[in-house]
Amino acid sequence: MNLIGEKISYKPDEQFHLNDVSFNFKKGNLYTILGRTLSGKTTLLKTIAGLLNPDQGSISFEEKDFIKIPVWERNVAMVYQQFINYPHLNVYENITFPLEQRKLSPEQIKKDVDEALKTVGLVGFENRKIQELSGGQQQRVALARSLAKKAKILLLDEPLVNLDYKLREQLREEFKRIFSEGLSQDTILIYSTTDPQEVMELNGEVIVLDEGKVLQKGPAKEIFENPSNLKVAEISNDPPMNVLKGSKNSKNLNFENISLEIPNHFKNLEDKDYNFGIRASEIKLDENGEEFEIELAEISGSETLLHLKRGNSKIIALIEEVMNFKIHEKVKINFNANKFYAFGEDEKLVSSPYGGTNG
Amino acid sequence: MSKLYTFLKYFFITFWTVFVVAPFLWAVSTSFKDFQSVNSKVTYIPWLDFEPTLEGWRVLIKSPAKGGVDIVEPYFNSIFVTCTASLISIVLGTLAAYALSRFTFKAGFVRNNDITFFFISQRIMPPIVLSIPFFIFLSTIGLLDSLLGLVVVYIVLLMPIAVWIMVDFFNRVPKELDETALIDGCNPYQAFYKVVLPNSIPGLIVAGMFCIIFGWIDFFFAFILTFTEVQLLPVKVVALNSSITPWWSLSASALVSVAPLIIVAFIVERYLSKGNLSGALK
Amino acid sequence: MEEQMAKIDLSNISHTYNPLDPKPTYALNPFSMTWENGKRYAILGPSGCGKTTMLNIVSGLVRPSKGEILFDEIPVTDLKTEDRNIAQVFQFPVIYNTMTVYDNLAFPLRCREFTKEKIEERVKSVSDTLNLSSFLNSPARKLTADQKQLISLGRGLVREDVAAVLMDEPLTVIDPDLKFRLRRNLKEINEQYKTTLVYVTHDQNEAMTFAENIIVMDQGEIVQVGLPKDLFEKPKTTFVGYFIGSPAMNIFHSTVSSDHEVKINDTTIKTNSNLGNLKDKNVKLGIRSEFIELAEKEKSNTVKIKLTRVEDFGNFKLLTGKMGDLVIKSKVEREKPIPDGELNLYFPPEKCCVYSDEKLV
Repeated sequence: MNLIGEKISYKPDEQFHLNDVSFNFKKGNLYTILGRTLSGKTTLLKTIAGLLNPDQGSISFEEKDFIKIPVWERNVAMVYQQFINYPHLNVYENITFPLEQRKLSPEQIKKDVDEALKTVGLVGFENRKIQELSGGQQQRVALARSLAKKAKILLLDEPLVNLDYKLREQLREEFKRIFSEGLSQDTILIYSTTDPQEVMELNGEVIVLDEGKVLQKGPAKEIFENPSNLKVAEISNDPPMNVLKGSKNSKNLNFENISLEIPNHFKNLEDKDYNFGIRASEIKLDENGEEFEIELAEISGSETLLHLKRGNSKIIALIEEVMNFKIHEKVKINFNANKFYAFGEDEKLVSSPYGGTNG
Repeated sequence: MSKLYTFLKYFFITFWTVFVVAPFLWAVSTSFKDFQSVNSKVTYIPWLDFEPTLEGWRVLIKSPAKGGVDIVEPYFNSIFVTCTASLISIVLGTLAAYALSRFTFKAGFVRNNDITFFFISQRIMPPIVLSIPFFIFLSTIGLLDSLLGLVVVYIVLLMPIAVWIMVDFFNRVPKELDETALIDGCNPYQAFYKVVLPNSIPGLIVAGMFCIIFGWIDFFFAFILTFTEVQLLPVKVVALNSSITPWWSLSASALVSVAPLIIVAFIVERYLSKGNLSGALK
Repeated sequence: MEEQMAKIDLSNISHTYNPLDPKPTYALNPFSMTWENGKRYAILGPSGCGKTTMLNIVSGLVRPSKGEILFDEIPVTDLKTEDRNIAQVFQFPVIYNTMTVYDNLAFPLRCREFTKEKIEERVKSVSDTLNLSSFLNSPARKLTADQKQLISLGRGLVREDVAAVLMDEPLTVIDPDLKFRLRRNLKEINEQYKTTLVYVTHDQNEAMTFAENIIVMDQGEIVQVGLPKDLFEKPKTTFVGYFIGSPAMNIFHSTVSSDHEVKINDTTIKTNSNLGNLKDKNVKLGIRSEFIELAEKEKSNTVKIKLTRVEDFGNFKLLTGKMGDLVIKSKVEREKPIPDGELNLYFPPEKCCVYSDEKLV
């Protein structure tokens, strides 16, 4: 009874938009698709919706060949990153549209729409025109339309990316509540995003997509702790995981004229060249540390992101404090070797501080 | 300061109104004059300045046998040809434009833009170039000097306008809107007429207006492709002219020619500002 | 190279879009402010807060209903934009597509009939700073979006007489990957040319990265001016506490119980604020989720909460708990073990902010 995709490829021009993608989505679960812009997230969602037909591969749902079923007969709902609503209809009519299309009874429609309006917090807005709503409200209408349909597959394509950050924070909070309360147990929820923090917060099963290819699948925590290769490590961290080209010998880890003691989890590693990975948050300012030059200090609400340079290596450190630095100033930092990842020269994970290895 | 501004504003508007309306008033007044009143001296107001007469108007409905130029039949011919051709052009043009906007066509080196340009190219050519092929074409299929023939020719002339305006309009309707309609259970035809069309009303009206205007004012093709059986208004109005210019009946016919366009303008104007797509776009 | 720059004074400025109304609604409430020569300012606030009105008043697109603008003590209130010696950068790059990069940069100088040598010297200097030197002879339309935006900026900088460069959300159309480069360029320009830069944005991240001084606006009012650190640690109003930082500041209804203490439900919290003079005893207590600490056991300044949710964000964990019907969020290190059920959270007194009538005491 699952939504199963097998070896889906889609190549409308020179490049693969989807390349040999397989999945098995179970009812009642939340799946997040993590990938950068143009990684194929939207293409995958549109393929599931039926708006695109893959060149190769199959999709089945409830043991039926999904590809043979046209979009309008698949029971899916989709929320776009652009705020897509019917501009010629008011809020209430927007939400009833799919239900009337399905010829439900007026009583049923009224009940479903009222419930959806309540869930997204738009009670009292029924007669408003779409153009009179703010971006956040428009996205709520789109979500309400999707919820009222009670579709078996709900697709959300970067629904928050076009909103101001404060609104994004607020809606994400509501999404979590809606996903846990407002959906039935038969629904498969698929949510695409570029934001690793969103993936962690939604805490579902993750598919990491890059250039149309699935790089890794697994629970959010597993992806975060044991990224299977360098690319995943970069995509699944914000700021991206730092990569330092270096080597291990019998005594030390060496990179950019810096030597670190070998941490426990690296004890059994072969002595050779590696790509070492370290998260920005595991780098700390330290008087006795190694000297780096500041290229830029970015400040977010509570944190400072230091873009640092030494030799050929550029790294980012995340300092949990708001600090003022000047460009080209020198700072000393300390690496926590216990949090080092080792990736081989083929960029595959060799050792992780959380015990994962590749294969 | 602001009083002066208000004064200037109203002054200018009044001036402009007079500028625009005066010719019409002049035509109305002239249409009730006779030879004497037109040629004696400048006069403006009926009864006061000159003795009004309905002769100018009567000429338009009198049969030629009684010395008139019956424009009633050409008038309805013109309405019929313009409306039918415009309607068919809009329907076909809208469908073509939707296809050109939403699907990618490939045939050799030909792409969507080339097809759109092909439509427009019909209007780039001087009409004279088209007139002879049309003449031969209509005479071959036996539609010369017939309403149906004129409708066919006008569709060729008007549809490019409809396609051109509507392609541009549909390109501004996000594709995601159609997709959402499909996802919400519409088949492609329902998506088109339930969602895309209602959001394209301003475009349809602009396109329709242009078609009606261009169809209504055409003299050239009506003149070349008709003789005796069928006549259209512009051709008939020109026929009014004789050795003595009948200003009164020319004015009357000018007024009845403009009337339908004014009515169309009044109906359309209120829809033009309605229904915008900002909600769908961003 | 020393530039001729100006101090900008905004004196008793206010603006309303319906000045004839006896009780006008202000797009900008009355304020006074001085922008020092050569500093970086950011105007930050949600859409509709009046930040663009403020920028337009400085640039001369909008004439304020009341008040005066002075550049170096000289009134410019009635001068038009082009007479004010300011440069503007908009959301979308404004470049002359048909010209080369060099001609684009030289354009403002040619219009003012500078000598050829002078033009060459200025364009070279500016293009070096903006890393555009290697593109000088290519047509401007061939550059990437961020480079085009640099040209817009460069056209403002080539003139030595600009009093300030005003930027209205200049990074909106720039790819996230390229934003980093541009931010860096902006800071370098400021350090090298000592040009006053004013930057309007709704993104706290951008504002804090860019500016030394942040002007936070809400509903036509300047609610706080300060360093990024001040905004975060001592927000002057509950709005700033909510708007800056993610998650927003925890804010609780409470009552003053002594000169330095407030009560939330039945728990007494000590603060470093002097509360003795407050008439209204109903106040709000604000504390950042970053500053709340996990306590082993109950002690002074701890609150007991019931843990409702633990979220793993990767770089940290976010605890959500309830105390009665109050919701508390606390950021903790990811590795820290979290006991189930009931928790004691410690509020460090120096980190507690008390708000009376939404304003910091």
